[in-house]
Amino acid sequence: MEATNLLSRYGTDMRVWDEMFGSEGIRPAYRSLVEAIQNLSAAEMTHKDELAKKLFMSQGITFTVYSSGEGIEKIFPFDIIPRILEAAEWKHIEEGIRQRLKALNIFLKDIYHQQFIIRDGIVPAKLIYSCPNFVRQMVNVPVPFDIYTHISGIDLIRDADGSYYVLEDNLRTPSGVSYMLENRSITYRIFPDLLPRNKVRSVKDYPDLLLKNLVALASRQKSDPTVVLLTPGMFNSAYFEHSTLARMMGIELVEGSDLVVDNHKVYMKTTSGLRQVDVIYRRVDDDFLDPLVFRPDSILGVPGLYGAYRTGHVAIVNAMGNGVADDKAVYSFVPAMIRYYLNEEPILKNVPTYPLEQPDNRKMVFEKMDRMVIKKTNESGGYGMLIGSAATEKQMEEFKVAVEEDPRSYIAQPIISLSSAPCYINGVLQPRRVDLRPFALYGPDGIDIVPGGLTRVALKEGSLVVNSSQGGGSKDTWVLE
Amino acid sequence: MLSRVADSVFWMARYMERTNGMLRILRTNYISSQDEVPDFNWETLLHNYSDAGAEEIKAIGNQSVKVLEHLLLDRHNGSSVINNISRARENGRAVQDHITKEVWQCLNDYYHLIRDPQIAFQVSSGDPVTALDSLIHQGMLYHGTVDITMARGEGFNYLNTGKFLERAILSSDMLMIKLTELDFNLQQPVELPSLRYLLYSLSGYELYLKTHRGNLQADFVIQQILYNEHFPHSVAYCLNQLFRYFERLEADSLPENYRQLEFLIGRAMNNVKYSSINTADGAGLKHFLQQIRQELFGIAAAFSRYYFGNS
Repeated sequence: MEATNLLSRYGTDMRVWDEMFGSEGIRPAYRSLVEAIQNLSAAEMTHKDELAKKLFMSQGITFTVYSSGEGIEKIFPFDIIPRILEAAEWKHIEEGIRQRLKALNIFLKDIYHQQFIIRDGIVPAKLIYSCPNFVRQMVNVPVPFDIYTHISGIDLIRDADGSYYVLEDNLRTPSGVSYMLENRSITYRIFPDLLPRNKVRSVKDYPDLLLKNLVALASRQKSDPTVVLLTPGMFNSAYFEHSTLARMMGIELVEGSDLVVDNHKVYMKTTSGLRQVDVIYRRVDDDFLDPLVFRPDSILGVPGLYGAYRTGHVAIVNAMGNGVADDKAVYSFVPAMIRYYLNEEPILKNVPTYPLEQPDNRKMVFEKMDRMVIKKTNESGGYGMLIGSAATEKQMEEFKVAVEEDPRSYIAQPIISLSSAPCYINGVLQPRRVDLRPFALYGPDGIDIVPGGLTRVALKEGSLVVNSSQGGGSKDTWVLE
Repeated sequence: MLSRVADSVFWMARYMERTNGMLRILRTNYISSQDEVPDFNWETLLHNYSDAGAEEIKAIGNQSVKVLEHLLLDRHNGSSVINNISRARENGRAVQDHITKEVWQCLNDYYHLIRDPQIAFQVSSGDPVTALDSLIHQGMLYHGTVDITMARGEGFNYLNTGKFLERAILSSDMLMIKLTELDFNLQQPVELPSLRYLLYSLSGYELYLKTHRGNLQADFVIQQILYNEHFPHSVAYCLNQLFRYFERLEADSLPENYRQLEFLIGRAMNNVKYSSINTADGAGLKHFLQQIRQELFGIAAAFSRYYFGNS
């Protein structure tokens, strides 16, 4: 029989924070899990791994890749070993996110109304007005309860010393929450009893909390306002999430063509005629929402939706125009916003960010490009970025040219190594880099953050890119009581 | 309920019913091609369930395995079972929030099952009946799952109207196919084995035996398929059920739309109920079956227009 201990071949890199292994051995949060699985045979572990895959497939938790005529069903790769956070760690994250969202929300209200932050010289006007996601149509448009960021998925990473950094705030239409919920439902199937034994906090309140917030936004005085989820349609890669959330909340899943606007009111076409819609949780980007105001070629949106929104007949979640706060050059001002609006010190750190619009920054970044990440300010999903340590000379030269041509659209950040967590890959437990995306819900009653989130994993050895579009996977995320 | 959703639920049910019907007719036809019926020819069936050209149909008409591959698993044949299951699933996927999770998973499993290489292997080089049986079982699982998990709301009613409309079409089509194969010449002194296989395909043989003794007679068979109100595949039964589920939609309908459909379904029911058949008059029988078919398609078109917002 082979050496049964799973951990015997687990090698960590001293320059990287490992979620499971510290200098004192296995960290307390992981001890009970390790005890339960360390003596399982390779066959048992592999069986669990296969079971997880089968469950994802049979539950249709898949996305379809249309490459050669017939669609290929793919599952979002799932690693069976959970990522574990202790209560104190979570408390710190929670407080940090609350603080940040408060500031960002005030910022959005401010930037679309009086613009005190510009007048007081904290954020340069040029930075805002040059941002393609600053939606001029939102200026002086009141939004219900002054809330813009109803749903956000904040990306956190961990540097070598274990401290958390916010990488992105994702205030537009963050996805992944259905995987947080489904990953949990797979975990209790493959590891019976482990969840209660470890006192893992539940994440299943998410749909209820979200629905409560959505209902509260309706402007008509009605006991049962009509809330819908607007999806771009079943060819969208996040369609599974849209239908799952709609089902869990018991609301209608609609496409743009199911809605019409008449006299600044939004209606959905039903078998018994038109029915007025009060709240739209949209998973369609700003640009595509209303062809009369934004992209005229969009067929995903609803003509006249902006007018209905502006006149307050329908609430749209998240608000339009949040992209300005997601801009990676604006991101560098978030700590300043927290100090300016809240008079507090930021609890969670920002990754040092150098807008390349400034010539000094460009010079400095170009000199040590191999230690920097260069990103486009308006891209996400791991697109439009260069990781210096993994780039070729040619790629670096190409990026330099692109940056010089349009410096406003680029920022640079030092490479943060990302913490590693144990993953079961090819029958061996090995460390892989992870990030963490908790989901925060901002409603009239305050901010709720479900204890958990989506842990994304870079499945390739040594890779730092966790995005699903770039070959990343995910893990269940446990927050202990 | 959204018109688009109602449309998808309706079609999901139709594709599933069509799948079930096709699988059963393929199973009995395959068995009869192996036993009993000499020089079995699939051409009439192929003309109904394949979009291949006449020459292509002629070329494979008497090769059972080729026909099965074409009608079951050929992606290029728009009416193949695999395409029907895929479409049912796509429709189900688009309305996941209106069917239960169990129904969705069942459809999803169906899709994965028919794509399983084992099915293709059984059809081409193993025992096709095994493949057909496992597919038919999955279909039964679907019907059971719908029955015990779906709420009796609008969605369920559309699901059933779609199902019974499709079943009525299938039953009249199958009857038409068999009678065409016999060239509407039904006054023969010997028993026609193909009528027995027709009853098998519609799960109606046992009922026939309980109702009539002795040799199979063409007029009894046709009467059972058209008029027997206790036979779940008879046209009369399907229309009654269609009307029953349609009536439940009244509260959620616009009155003028409801009246349109009520008229069409009612007329079709009466046209079947107050008709009689004469096996000696082949041409008259053929005309009658064609008329039923047209009325059924008229009902489908009216649903699409008045309830699903397609013009």
